[in-house]
Amino acid sequence: MKVPFRKILAYLDGSEESISALMYSILLAKSTGAELHAVYVVNTKALSELVRAHIFIDQEKREYLEDLKKDSARHLRHAERLASSKDQDIIVKAIEGSPHIVIQDYVKANGIDLLAIGPVNAIRSRRDELTSENDRMLRTVPCQVLVVRDDSGIWEQFEG
Amino acid sequence: MTLLETLDRDLIKVPLSSADGSSVIDELVGLYAAKQGLPQAEASSIAAAVKAREALGSTAMENGIAIPHAKLHGLARNAVVIGISRIPVPFGGKEGTRVFFLVLARDDSPAEHIQLLSSIAKVASSQLFVRMLLSSKTPQDVYQLFFE
Repeated sequence: MKVPFRKILAYLDGSEESISALMYSILLAKSTGAELHAVYVVNTKALSELVRAHIFIDQEKREYLEDLKKDSARHLRHAERLASSKDQDIIVKAIEGSPHIVIQDYVKANGIDLLAIGPVNAIRSRRDELTSENDRMLRTVPCQVLVVRDDSGIWEQFEG
Repeated sequence: MTLLETLDRDLIKVPLSSADGSSVIDELVGLYAAKQGLPQAEASSIAAAVKAREALGSTAMENGIAIPHAKLHGLARNAVVIGISRIPVPFGGKEGTRVFFLVLARDDSPAEHIQLLSSIAKVASSQLFVRMLLSSKTPQDVYQLFFE
């Protein structure tokens, strides 16, 4: 049977959950022959909004931008190491912007047909203000979406 | 961790007893320190970090909410401490502040810290939500508001 996707994108946001999604994507790409991408989005939109709301001062925004860039570099290096450990090629990239918009654009520009993300929020509140970037991606990205639960099974599969 | 996952009903105080900004920070940090069983010296160090950040520019917003914060080395997990004052407290904004969200964040998880602050900023931008927060009588009332 033909595999119904050719290009997988794993979204990284600096969380452990997104690393689990990446590990699952590596296993999936390895077993299907799909091309694998990983993108870390440096959320500059949130930084700008925090300055506008007077929660951050400009100096803080600059410091956090540097912190986020370092975090992205660290996570993408880790992604390369994980892929390499499974002998899987991976294309990694850090992009600045609003996460769900950056991912939409990346999916369109690169012909991605499967996006892998970490868990979406449990429905514990009806407040739209508490909607996460993962939720927004799930709703807006123009391709199939794989929501990867963060559980020890993935780590065991990966290391097994 | 999301804001909802970070909230802890033991880290909510209604009403606050302090009448000035510096004392409010001490009171909120004190609540956190008591819950964590931290020694006084560590609590003082956390409060000093928060006050040092406030000294660079007040985090008071226009709607009577302030989000003092600090990133700290060695913190086990991010924390949000909420305090609501019956009277407006001078906190550097044009008007007094009644709702305080103290955010203490690990220094090695910038993305999570920013997500936490953004979530608080978003709920704080809802006038209805702020009105409900201000009318809360108990920590349980405040906690429950986030889950409705």
